[in-house]
Amino acid sequence: MAIPLRFTRLMQVQYKNKIMTQINLSELSELQAINKKLVSGHHISEQDTTLWQQLDQHIDAYQALFNALGHDLQHDSRGFYYLASDESTPNMGKISRAIALTVFILIEHYANQGKDPLRALFDEVADLELMQTLVQLNKHLFDQLEIFSGSDLRKDVYLRMVRLGLAKEVEQGFVHLAPVYRYIDALMEVNEGSFDGLEEEV
Amino acid sequence: MIPAKKVLNTLHEHWSVLELLFKRFKMTDFSAKDVQSIIKHKNPQWTSERIFKETNRLLNQEIIIPLAKSSQLEINRAIADFASFLLQEENLGLAEEITVLVKDLERLGLRLHQAGDEGDFSELRRFSRIMDERVRKIVKLFEHNESAIFNLVEQAKSDNSNLSLQKRYKAVIEAFDEYIEPMLEMVDIRGPFHACFIMIEQQISNQIENIELFGRGARDKRMLEQLRTRILDMHLVGRESLRKSADMLMPLREELRRNTLITRQAAKVLGLIRKNGVDRMLTSVQPEFVSDIQRFSLGQQRHMVAYMASLAQFEHADYELPDSTDVPAYQSPNIPDYNDVRLSFTKKFANSGAKRQALLDFLNEQYPSLDADEMLFLYQKLISDQQFELHQDTERTKVSINGNTFALYPFNASTVQE
Repeated sequence: MAIPLRFTRLMQVQYKNKIMTQINLSELSELQAINKKLVSGHHISEQDTTLWQQLDQHIDAYQALFNALGHDLQHDSRGFYYLASDESTPNMGKISRAIALTVFILIEHYANQGKDPLRALFDEVADLELMQTLVQLNKHLFDQLEIFSGSDLRKDVYLRMVRLGLAKEVEQGFVHLAPVYRYIDALMEVNEGSFDGLEEEV
Repeated sequence: MIPAKKVLNTLHEHWSVLELLFKRFKMTDFSAKDVQSIIKHKNPQWTSERIFKETNRLLNQEIIIPLAKSSQLEINRAIADFASFLLQEENLGLAEEITVLVKDLERLGLRLHQAGDEGDFSELRRFSRIMDERVRKIVKLFEHNESAIFNLVEQAKSDNSNLSLQKRYKAVIEAFDEYIEPMLEMVDIRGPFHACFIMIEQQISNQIENIELFGRGARDKRMLEQLRTRILDMHLVGRESLRKSADMLMPLREELRRNTLITRQAAKVLGLIRKNGVDRMLTSVQPEFVSDIQRFSLGQQRHMVAYMASLAQFEHADYELPDSTDVPAYQSPNIPDYNDVRLSFTKKFANSGAKRQALLDFLNEQYPSLDADEMLFLYQKLISDQQFELHQDTERTKVSINGNTFALYPFNASTVQE
């Protein structure tokens, strides 16, 4: 899957609507690093300065290139790039569910404390104490995902979020990054109607 | 009397219909037409005759019953309670309900104590049974009320009408003032609830001690112990449940909570998750990732397609089995029949009497042309033959057979038992 970097002559790639795009591979100097991060599910946000700038400058070329490789490189205007996928392995699905639950519960938790949940989500540091409180207050939900303690939450959710580029580790704990918006979008998508439809199938 | 199994079957078959009826009409009445249209909605392929029959079945089994002096219908109270338990759609009960039960428990505890003192064991049993029943009821009420408060809070949180905070949280504040506060007062460490439990526990413990001391009514001991555990557990359950409920109500009551679109949605979704389970609720909406692991497994559709494509190009190639002529001919080991060996061995030593003779020497003499491994095979067979009395040397000796040298503690034959 990796593309030889020293392959510098102009490569022609068929892109949408059969338009021929000319890609100068010598300009895409971070291609290898970007490819490695994206295909492992990582979200590249503004914190990854070099990669993000590269993507920002040559987004058309990268999009065409990844498209030709069978991926779907998405640019979210809230400041991050990722490869979209509409299916997933069971294991990744479980991780994603755990992250979703954690994010939703955090929003609820911040709201209960009278904070603006969105601002708190991105400004405040999630430390071990907060994780313990979250798990304690929502035991019946986290039990279903086999998360039984604050340190479980740290290990099973936050460290994975770091790997996926959804959070970054700081001295006190973890800070959420812009790609968490994907979960907030998912949250707003849920409505009872869609669930009822699901139930009929079952 | 309608057989329970029949009712359960009908419930099972028509659960989706009943669920919808329950959700749509809650505690109000509805007409037979409503029931029929819901059945029709859930089973569009049924004929009207069938729908009529099924409606009658629900009526006959008293799952839905007619309202007094009216043609309107309602869900049987017992079924409604069961459904509300299953769907966790419970309504908040009264704090007094629990208070009354606890007071009754106190009274029963006293009676139990009396019965125990008088040595009336049938009474003792009777009271402990009744107390057991009461305790279960209290625990049930706690759980019921907790889930009711969950519902209240969720509704208040996800309500997106533009009412004033005061109005939006009216139900919540009411719940707090009328249920949580009196209950908290009751379960307070210095409150009457606690004192009453300590007393009851003391009494039961005394009874158990008496039983242990006098050995009478040993069968009741187990029952009393169980009751004591249940009461202690109930106390714990009650405090836990109240603490949880209070935690949930507090931010709303203090009007601390921010009520933005996102928090409303989060509250709603978490409520749905609580009722339907994490996996079922989130699987359809969660974001998906591309993952490195996926590239090495057949999990994704495109992998399957690639795999199938390579299958299509598969070419059949015969696996060549070895020919029978290629196999070298089998050479049977050059071992003489063991029975012959045995016979000659018996003969030889019957003649030599009690004289000691090395077993290997005999074999060497008899079959000089044998290979070492074949010789040792015979040697082994003779040793393990139960019929001969053989002795093993305590000294190690070196023997050479057909050019191979072995070190062993040789067996010698002394006598032959026949």
